[in-house]
Order: sequence, then C-alpha cells, then structure tokens
Amino acid sequence: MSVQDLILGLHRFWAGQGCYLAPTYDLEVGAGTMTPDTFFRVLDKRDWRVGYVQPSRRPDDGRYGENPNRVQKHFQYQVIIKPSPAEIQDIYIQSLRSLGIVLEDHDLRFDEDNWESPTIGAWGVGWQVLLDGLEITQFTYFQQCGGIDLAPVPVEITYGLERLEMFLEQKDDIYDLDWSADVSYRDLRLREEKEFSEYNFAAASVTMLRQAFNACQKEAGRLAAKGLLLPAYDMCLKCSHNFNLLDSRGAISVTERVKMISQIRALVNDIARQYTGGKDGA
Amino acid sequence: MEFLLELLTEELPASHIRSALEQLEAGFGKELLEARIEVRSLKTFATPRRLVVAADLAEGQEDREELVTGPPLAIAKGPDGALTPAGKGFARSQGIEESLLEAVRTSKGEYLGFRRKARGTPTADVLASAVPRVLGSLSFPKMMRWGVSPFRFSRPIHGLLCVFGGSPVATSFEGLKASDGTVGHRIASPGRITAGDLAAYRAALEKGFVILDPADRKKMILAQMEAALAPLKAQAYPDAELLDDLTLNVEHPLVIFGEFPEAYLSLPIEVLSTAMREGQKLFSVVRDTKQLPCFLGVADASGDAKGLIRRGNERVLRARLEDARFFWSQDRKVPLCERTAGLKNVLFQEKLGTYEDKARRLEKIVAYLCDKLGAAEVKADAVDAAALCKADLLTEMVKEFSGLQGRMGGLYAREEGLPAAVHQAIYEHYQPGSLEDASPSSVAGAVLSIADKMDSIVGAIGVGLQVSGSSDPFGLRRNAHGVCKVVLDRKLRFSFPLLLDRVLAIYGDRLTLGRAEVKAACLDFFAGRLRFILEKRGYRYDLVGAALGPGVDQIVDVLARVEALDTLKSSPQFEPFILMAKRIHNILKGLPAAKVNPDLFVEKEERDLHSTLSIIGSNAHPMIARGDFARAQGIIFKLQPVLNTFFDKVLVMAEDKRTRQNRLGLLQSIAKMLLGMADYSQVVVEGERTAKPKASR
Repeated sequence: MSVQDLILGLHRFWAGQGCYLAPTYDLEVGAGTMTPDTFFRVLDKRDWRVGYVQPSRRPDDGRYGENPNRVQKHFQYQVIIKPSPAEIQDIYIQSLRSLGIVLEDHDLRFDEDNWESPTIGAWGVGWQVLLDGLEITQFTYFQQCGGIDLAPVPVEITYGLERLEMFLEQKDDIYDLDWSADVSYRDLRLREEKEFSEYNFAAASVTMLRQAFNACQKEAGRLAAKGLLLPAYDMCLKCSHNFNLLDSRGAISVTERVKMISQIRALVNDIARQYTGGKDGA
Repeated sequence: MEFLLELLTEELPASHIRSALEQLEAGFGKELLEARIEVRSLKTFATPRRLVVAADLAEGQEDREELVTGPPLAIAKGPDGALTPAGKGFARSQGIEESLLEAVRTSKGEYLGFRRKARGTPTADVLASAVPRVLGSLSFPKMMRWGVSPFRFSRPIHGLLCVFGGSPVATSFEGLKASDGTVGHRIASPGRITAGDLAAYRAALEKGFVILDPADRKKMILAQMEAALAPLKAQAYPDAELLDDLTLNVEHPLVIFGEFPEAYLSLPIEVLSTAMREGQKLFSVVRDTKQLPCFLGVADASGDAKGLIRRGNERVLRARLEDARFFWSQDRKVPLCERTAGLKNVLFQEKLGTYEDKARRLEKIVAYLCDKLGAAEVKADAVDAAALCKADLLTEMVKEFSGLQGRMGGLYAREEGLPAAVHQAIYEHYQPGSLEDASPSSVAGAVLSIADKMDSIVGAIGVGLQVSGSSDPFGLRRNAHGVCKVVLDRKLRFSFPLLLDRVLAIYGDRLTLGRAEVKAACLDFFAGRLRFILEKRGYRYDLVGAALGPGVDQIVDVLARVEALDTLKSSPQFEPFILMAKRIHNILKGLPAAKVNPDLFVEKEERDLHSTLSIIGSNAHPMIARGDFARAQGIIFKLQPVLNTFFDKVLVMAEDKRTRQNRLGLLQSIAKMLLGMADYSQVVVEGERTAKPKASR
C-alpha cells in the first residue's frame, strides 16, 4: 500500500462516515488543526464532519534530508467530527481495520496525551495512539479554541501519514516510502527537505521575516477590526509561520518569544470572540 | 449480599485511576455508613477502561423500633384512665389501634405514645441513590467534556454495570442505565458479557482477555519477564514506577522481549535506558549491572504469535536509538563552555530571567556555600560546575529526552575531559529528584544541588508563585525536599536564614516581593516541609512540632532535636520535666520581658535555682550550639528537682512587685534556655492525650 493508497483509503472511510472531504488549505501551517476547516468550524454550534490532508510545516524539524524519521514538512490526515460521537473510538479502530491492519496481531494503545497550542489558544484532552509502540495518531477531545470553551465538543483525529505508512510498508526510512506505484517519497521530497532545511536554518532573511511578521500582524488587526475574520485569520497563520521560521533561524530572544506568541494569540482570540459573538447562543 | 459496580470508560490515565479508586472507596464507605448499611467488605479494582467496586453488604438497614409521642398524658387521659378526645384524636391521626397506646416517660414528663416498627430500607434502594452521587462526585486533576453534555469526567464513560444480590440496581448515571452487562477486551474480545456477581464477572472478563485485578496483572508481568529472561540469566532493570503504570495501562498484559543492534551499546547507559523508558515505556535488561542489547515491553494483547508486536517495537526503538546516537556524536562537537552563551535564549522564568542569569546566580551561591561549609578544596570546581551545569539544556539530546538534563551535561563534561569533581557535580545536581532518590555523592554535587534548588525556591516565592493545595507548578515542594534531604544526608552545618539572605541579595531587585516577606515565607515553607519529612520518617507529630519550635536555623538541628526528644521520651524524667516546662510556659504566657537581679532574691530556693541554672546553662550551651541535643537534654533534666523545690517553697506571683518581676525574670531565663532545645509546650504527655477528645474517624 502506497501513501497515495493510504490517503485514498482514509478519504473513502471518512467520507463513509459522512465527512466532507476538504481540499488542502493553501497556506503554511504547523498543524491541520490550524486551518479554517478546523479552527472556525469547531467554534460554532453547527454539526461538522470533515476530513483532509494537510502538510504540516515545522521548520525546526528540518534535518537536511539526512534523518530517516524527521522532516520539516510532513503530512497529516485530519478528521474533525462535532459533536464527538459516543462510539468514536470504535469508528477510529474500524478506520485502521479498513486499511488492512489486522489489529488482533498487534498492540493498539490509547496512551494519555493532552494536546495544546498556545498560539491559537487551543487545548484538548486525549491520547496518542500507539501501534506496537509507534505513535500513529493524535486523538483529542477539543475543549477550547481561540480561548473559547467549545460546546458541542469536537473530536479531532490526526493521523501522521508518514508514520502510518512506515508501519504499513514495514520500512525504516521515510525516504524509502512509496508515494505511488512508481514515485517514491525520496523522488518527491528529498530535494525539498535539503533546500528548505538550508532555508529554515541559514538562508532565510531575518530582516524580511521580521518585516513580514509585523506587517501581517498589523494587517490582521486591521482586518479583524473591520469584521473580516477569515482574511484576518489568514494573516495570523502567516504570522505564526514567520515566527516559526525566525525561531529556526535562532533569531528570537526569550522575552520576544513570549511576546510574539501572546501577540498572535491575542489576535486569534479576538477573531474567535467576534466569530462566536454574532451567533445565536454561541 | 454482593454488590458489584463497574464504570466502563475510555482509557483513563494511570494517575486518574489511582485517585478514582481512593475516592470510590471513601465515597461508598461514607454513603453506606450514613445509610446504616453494614459493610462486611469493600474492594476496588481497575483496568484502564474500568473502575470497579465489589462489596459484601447487608441486605438492608436493620428494622428499627421507634417511639412516637403524642400529647401529655394529663391531657390525653381522663382521671379514670380512659382516653380523652385528645388521646383518641392522636390514635386516629397516627392510624393505629387505641390498644397499642401506652404511657411514655420522657425527661419532660409523661406522654401518650406508642412504639412503631420501622422497616429498614433495602440496600438496593440505598445503592440506587448512592451510586450516581458517588460517581458524580469523582474529581480528577484534569477533566474534560465530550459530545453535547456539560458533564465533566476524566475521559468519556460508556457503561454502568451495577448489580446487588444478582440483579441490576434500578439506577443510572449520566444517561447510562445500570445493567448486568459489560464488554471484554477492546481488540481481543470486544463482545458483550454479563455477570451477576464478582466471581462470574471476574471469570467472564478473563475469558474476554481482561484481568480485573491490578495485582494479578502485575504478577503476570513479573512472571512473564522472568520467563523471558531466565535463559539469558539476566534481569530487567528495576523500575517500580514504570511497572505500576504499565499495570494500569493494560487489560491483558503480554510481555514482549526484543533486541537492538549491539552497536548502540556504545551509548551511555543513561541514554539507552531513557530512550527505552521515556519514549516507549520499555524496561532495559542487564546482566551483572551490564546493559544487554535487548529490552522488555508490556503489550495489551492476547498474544504475539507472528512476532509483529516485537518487530514493531524493535523498529521504533531502533529509530530512537539512531536519533540518540546522532545527538551523542553531534552534541560532543561543541564544548559546554561554548554552549553557555546560548543560555541567554532559554527562559528560566519570565520574571526571574534566563538560564544565563540563573547560572551567574548559582556560581555565587555555590561560592558562598563552599565558604560556609569549609569546603575550600572543591570551591573552584563547584563554581565551574555551576557555570556549566545548565548548558546541556541546549544539547539535542536533552531537547529530545528532557529527563536526562544534568546527567547529560555531566557525561558531556566527562567526555570533554573536565575534572572529575566538575563533571560529577553537573551530573548530580538535579539529585535527589524525590525523598526516595539518592543525594549527590560528591561535595561539589551536593553544594550545587542545594544552590540550584534554593535559587528556584527563593525566586519563585519572591515573584509570588506560591504553593497551594495540589498546585505546585514550579515543583517547590520537590525542590525543598531535595535541599533538606541533601543537608540531612550529609549533615551539613550552615545557617539557613543567612543562606536565604545571601540568595535574596544575589537576586537583588529582580524579585517583586520585599526581602523580609520572601524570607519569612521561605522559612515558613521549609518548616512545613521539614515537618512533612520528619513525620514521614515516623517521628511523633508533637515531637516534630517541639523540634521546629526554636525555628529553622540549622536544618540539621531540627532533626537532631527531634531525635533527642524521641530518645528521651521514654525516660522516666521526661514527662515530669515536660509538665514542668509547660507550667513555666503557662505562667509566662503573654507577660512582658523581665530582668533578673540576684540582689533581689529573697528565698534560698530562688538563689539555688539561679545558681543551678547558670551552671547548667554554661554546660549545656556549647552542646546546644554544636547540635548535641541529647547530651544537653540530659544536663537540663537536672533542673527539675531544683525547680520542684522552687515551686513548692516560693510564690512566684509575690505581692511585692519587684520580687515578683524578679522571679518571673528568673523563669523567663529558664524558658529561653529551654527554647534553645525545643518548644516543650508542644509535646503532648500521657495525661493530656487521654483527656483530649477523640479525633473524628
């Protein structure tokens, strides 16, 4: 089974669960949680079911293509279901079985792990799901987002696609994975990892990133004040990515780090407040 | 009759399970006691998905006879003894035969009344209302909501098995109706099972690949480990905490034995075992303290016939070890002294600054402590260690395995060829992590450990990060326990308040609270921690209180004081002496200080007391000063006969004011000397103990 088959399998499974299959969001984000398909949709009262593939950019995890497990961009399969169904753990287990995993031959564990993203004022309670000791999924009952208590409570299931694929293909090196029958992960990603590692750690212009951070922050505030919440939120995502790049360039001092995170969070929380404020009962 | 309760949940964290079982036992104990249901036995069990209570209870409350009183007899009966209309009315209103009425004598006089048989409430009814109350009162360190309900619990709940005497109890909890059914193992046997009592429940679960009793699961794990290692003549590296957690992480334990390439044995054993334990909860395997290239894990599965679980865990571990090997070789390319520059980018605490600031402070505290402890020979090395000890926070290894902080720095320092005292001090400076953990084995390590912890405690308290109840975000209790343990283990003599002054001075104006306030709060906090530590060591609470009475000047003296009291408590002189000390304490309570003037003594007995006191004082004082409280106490006992005679013959509260003041002054100087030993007024003696009301249950 290739990465592509894995994605198709998860798409088929979650579509069968009534999920709308969202296209990948077109901005750099640190996690699937940060895209509008999760961020805004968990805030309101409306039921919501969505599944999508999202590249997750973590500039600091770059290893110049030399580490068999770590990359500065990996792929997540993100599922949000709101409200969380009572039988969601069983449904999740079925999703693994649907990929051909015979769980009776393995050790599947829900291991305590609570998730938190201070940048978008979000946290949840749940587990990391381990399959024979390998973390394949983050399973979270979302409690708060944008600083707002979520009701109904959404459940978020985030599969790490490369991890799961390494399990399925029984391979030890991420670059050996098959993306499709004749295209490997190496073909697709190795050059990107090398060049972006160099960019993240050495080549990115700190001056440009700072200007971009400041400009996006200002723009986010201006747009939020006009009630243009989705564009304002996009600006916050850009801030967040610029912040991560500055961080991997080693350009952020301690006090600055705290300040910048809280600046983004303040904007995000304001957007969340406005987004829920106009709605009935939200 | 048997009561069985199972709350079926999604996977609970081990710490939540432990707390829930305690709360369930206490909660049902209290409910049943209040409902007057006899509890013959009550036990709790748990798996990651089940909280279980099994109890043997009486079938119901005892039937009771109650007395119902009506109008006074004088009104209810006429002179002829016949019922008046008032009397008849009472019988009617209660719906009873007049013949059942009788005269009832009460403290207020005679009344008309009757005895009524009250049927006891059946236990099933009591349980029906108690079960949702007890379950609803469970609380957890972190709680969550799910679905559309505002209800909060540790993790979502799925089923309620609740039977008494073989039948389901008519109750429900948060929309779950009680039944006699549950399910087996999530993967191995997810089908429904039913059970009317504990034995059937236990058997059905076992068939469904669930071992109910954590003690049984632990035994299984240990037996399987032994079986796996016997051929190798090896042992699992003991890790009680990991074993306990794993016991609560699985419903059906299956020990997995795995191997890794020998090449990784070139990594330090600390790195190997941390990579195994922290990431994957694996036990390392040793033979004669030598690490072997294999591990043991505990899976939650019925078997591993195809070896897939083993191979999967081996693959994950290999990736981790490969990372570790990469870190180990990369990290050693930059010496620690070069890394320290980066500490200015690592925050220690928002108001307390960076780790660079902290390292500067530690150098000064360490230098001060070496001076005070007369440890000049290690001073230079200890100060060097202080400067370098936090540098490993910037290594890739510690970023990946934070539990290795300190130890990693020590290993890297050793690799760099730094002096043994330096790398050992860095290695040990987080020790002891708890009261059970070992103190640093080197002097420099002990000094750095104390300095590191004192800096954290004073700083945190100084910016208002107080410890309260279960909240201790900065780990101040653990830090204070560490300081006390190191000082007590190594019997280090230095003035604790002066150390506080020094640390406060080094912080300068960084702290938000005033120095006097912070110092007082720290002294208070440490007194509380010492009380905890000494009571945990088994000393009587009142003796601990007495030993803390003189304050915490030398930490070692608090222990020496309580040891002296503990040794002397059974001596025949002890109790009369305590009573005497209390008598003085009571006489002096609330009185202003008075001076002694030997010229004003009137009676021979007061002159005797005064001269005995000065002899005893001059003998005892040096002993007290060096912390030899047992010997000092032996001498101070000699005051007692003289004091006895004094109290017999001399009236302290004399008419003449000057005489009276002089006598009070004499007693005050005795009290002052006694307080150098202990606050004896806190010691509870036999007479008081029995007179004291019994503590509530």
